[in-house]
Amino acid sequence: MRAQVKTVLAYVGAAVTLAIAVCVPFVLMGTFSKAVAHAGLHVDASYTGGAIAAAVTHGAYQTVVYQPVWPRALQQMDPFVQITFRPVAALPRRVLEAIDLDGDGQPDVRVSFTVPPDPRSRPSGEVVALNAKYAGFGMPGSRSSFSQLMVQSNGAVVVRVPLKEAGTLR
Amino acid sequence: MASSAARTRPPAFRSVGRSILLTVPVAMWALLMFAPTFRAPGRNHHLGASAVIVFMTTLFFLMMRTGKTYRWRRYFFVALGFLFPVGFIASLVAVRGSMSIPIERMVSGDTPFCYMVIPLLIIPAALARTLIFPGSILPTASNPHSIAVMIGLWLAMTLVLGKAWCSYGCFFGGIEEGFAAASKHAKIRKLDARLRLVPWAILLFVVVLSAALFEPVYCMWLCPFKAVTEYPAVHSVETAIQMGIFIALFAALVIVLPFLTKKRTQCAYFCPFGAFQSLFNRINLFEIRFDRDKCVDCTLCQTACPTMALSVESIREGGTLLNCMKCGACVDSCKKGAAVWHLKGTKVALKPERARLLFLYGAWAMATLFGGSILASSIATVIGFLPLR
Amino acid sequence: MAVLPLSTSAVEALVLGLATGPVCLASCGPVVLPWMLVQPRGVRGHARQMSLFLAARLVGYLVFAAAIWFAGIALSRSWSGRSWLFGGVQVLLAAGLLIYAAGWPRARCSIARPRQELVQIGGASVDAARPRATGALVLGFLTGINLCPPFLVAGVQAAGLPSLAQALLFFAIFFAGTAVWFMPFVSLGVVRRTSSFITVARMAAALLACWYGFTGASLLIEKAIYG
Repeated sequence: MRAQVKTVLAYVGAAVTLAIAVCVPFVLMGTFSKAVAHAGLHVDASYTGGAIAAAVTHGAYQTVVYQPVWPRALQQMDPFVQITFRPVAALPRRVLEAIDLDGDGQPDVRVSFTVPPDPRSRPSGEVVALNAKYAGFGMPGSRSSFSQLMVQSNGAVVVRVPLKEAGTLR
Repeated sequence: MASSAARTRPPAFRSVGRSILLTVPVAMWALLMFAPTFRAPGRNHHLGASAVIVFMTTLFFLMMRTGKTYRWRRYFFVALGFLFPVGFIASLVAVRGSMSIPIERMVSGDTPFCYMVIPLLIIPAALARTLIFPGSILPTASNPHSIAVMIGLWLAMTLVLGKAWCSYGCFFGGIEEGFAAASKHAKIRKLDARLRLVPWAILLFVVVLSAALFEPVYCMWLCPFKAVTEYPAVHSVETAIQMGIFIALFAALVIVLPFLTKKRTQCAYFCPFGAFQSLFNRINLFEIRFDRDKCVDCTLCQTACPTMALSVESIREGGTLLNCMKCGACVDSCKKGAAVWHLKGTKVALKPERARLLFLYGAWAMATLFGGSILASSIATVIGFLPLR
Repeated sequence: MAVLPLSTSAVEALVLGLATGPVCLASCGPVVLPWMLVQPRGVRGHARQMSLFLAARLVGYLVFAAAIWFAGIALSRSWSGRSWLFGGVQVLLAAGLLIYAAGWPRARCSIARPRQELVQIGGASVDAARPRATGALVLGFLTGINLCPPFLVAGVQAAGLPSLAQALLFFAIFFAGTAVWFMPFVSLGVVRRTSSFITVARMAAALLACWYGFTGASLLIEKAIYG
């Protein structure tokens, strides 16, 4: 009797598996994808640049300053602040801006770059630190990393300014 | 000679009529899956889809007609393994001009998501709600293979396939299966059985380290298939070392060792995702069992198994090891009919063909859906390269 | 750091330890996990081993706290001696893990050499002799002086305290806060050990040893070349 019940259950299970297979492209895949998308997860800030702190509009383009991103656990990177200038199409050929990164009303860095016509090329320019908390760099020449870069990405020029850690870690 | 061959040819497993009848649902499924392709314009894509429909339907028919599974599945799997990189690399070169991922693509979340990363995401996602992969959660115009889409697809397919993902879903395993098939005889026959525990150790290693470093350690340092897909741009000693590791692992585990051993050495001795996927064999209803009344312990099945998922002890106990990916090689090789497809909960060897059919319909549906669409797109890419009008 | 009342410093140390515990876990987890999995089954045995590990880790903390207090070093990532110490400790940790991976000491542990035929995950359990305390003590001390980020934060705070006793107390309380996060490892004692399981743990220890060795050696080489 028990063996018969097990057999029936096994075939029911097999039928359910087949039904699931049929449902994969029409229902299941989309449902699971939506569940993952709405699970409250986010891509690590070392890739995305983190949350927006402030945005300033200069005519046709906007300068967006992000909140500082700190390494998590043993992440092998320096802390940084991301700045984006978008859209690239609206940027003047040469951009020169003094930017307040920490919201104290004083400029912390001076960013200057030339926008290349090819969207796959990197802008050439430099970041000059006006506040000792930040590290300046020049591009090209400096090695790009997640903490220090100046690139074109998704229709914007993305600049990441490393934070110095004098004295303490954070 | 010909008449002698005809005399010795074993009888067909199933009649042509019955085989066609059993193949009809698969043909209809394939047509349904590729219907959107035919509705959209694009001659090359139509040709690719047509070729895949014919290919997948024919292979299933041959499985039904001959009763062999591994032999015909292998054609699909090897084609997938070799054509996937062709299509993928071509699309990378078209979009980026190179196989390397520049940092700007990572920053913009344009890295296509690969299921190999899934085990590495679990701990950071659970503890910090963070996905340690430079992709986007939702699909975008520049990255349709987003994290949510690929995890959703993997999850749904895993419910059907379990560890059989590794023989019907994975687009990497076919490369080594192809190199293993290229060799007539195994040059290396003795392999330490403990080696099949290495994927579990690598899984533990990459999961722990990824959680500690907050980066996908396997993708950064160990994935052999980076050599034929995409890799971080080489700009430092560290990235050069990473590239060297990718190439060395690919050459050793995917080309040389499969050729010498006739085994899928990367899958059997290295792949942490395969080890992770083995855990789903526990919840999957289909498995391979051994009818101990018929088994003569000849170990032909053990020799045939491409991933070392059989041991003398497991065969004596009438089953496989946890890493069995249900490719059917052992069943095909068994001359006594002792190795059989089995539905958990039923009596072993009572209705093995019924269990095989129930499994194959689900598995082939998933193979057509996922692998088939990759094949079609890659074939369309290849046709695009040909000097045709 | 300004001189604060002892109770304020104690609370600060405890909160700092509790708050940065997950980072400590990320730092020491790769060492602790394979090492614990190699231990024979049993929560009591695991608790004993973990106690020894944590005690040795506390000693490491206190030794370092005393050293930095006497030296008056304000720790930072740019502290020049950090790379030497960090690199050296990582190489030593790699050596410690390799010893476990190789199955030493064999004399006291019957599970050191897993038999070739036993490869079924989920197979029969194996008996193991009581492990030595040496491993727990060595690994605990080395992770104790391993300069992970929370350790550096605590180091900065402790270096500014007015007396050595206060610095030591600060580190001890900080240690207690971080130690809470290690308690879940004791529960690994309930997991059934098979020969395959232990082999996997040993292999993982060997891989982690390679990683520690590589990062440690890289740091030392970089330091030697670039200063």
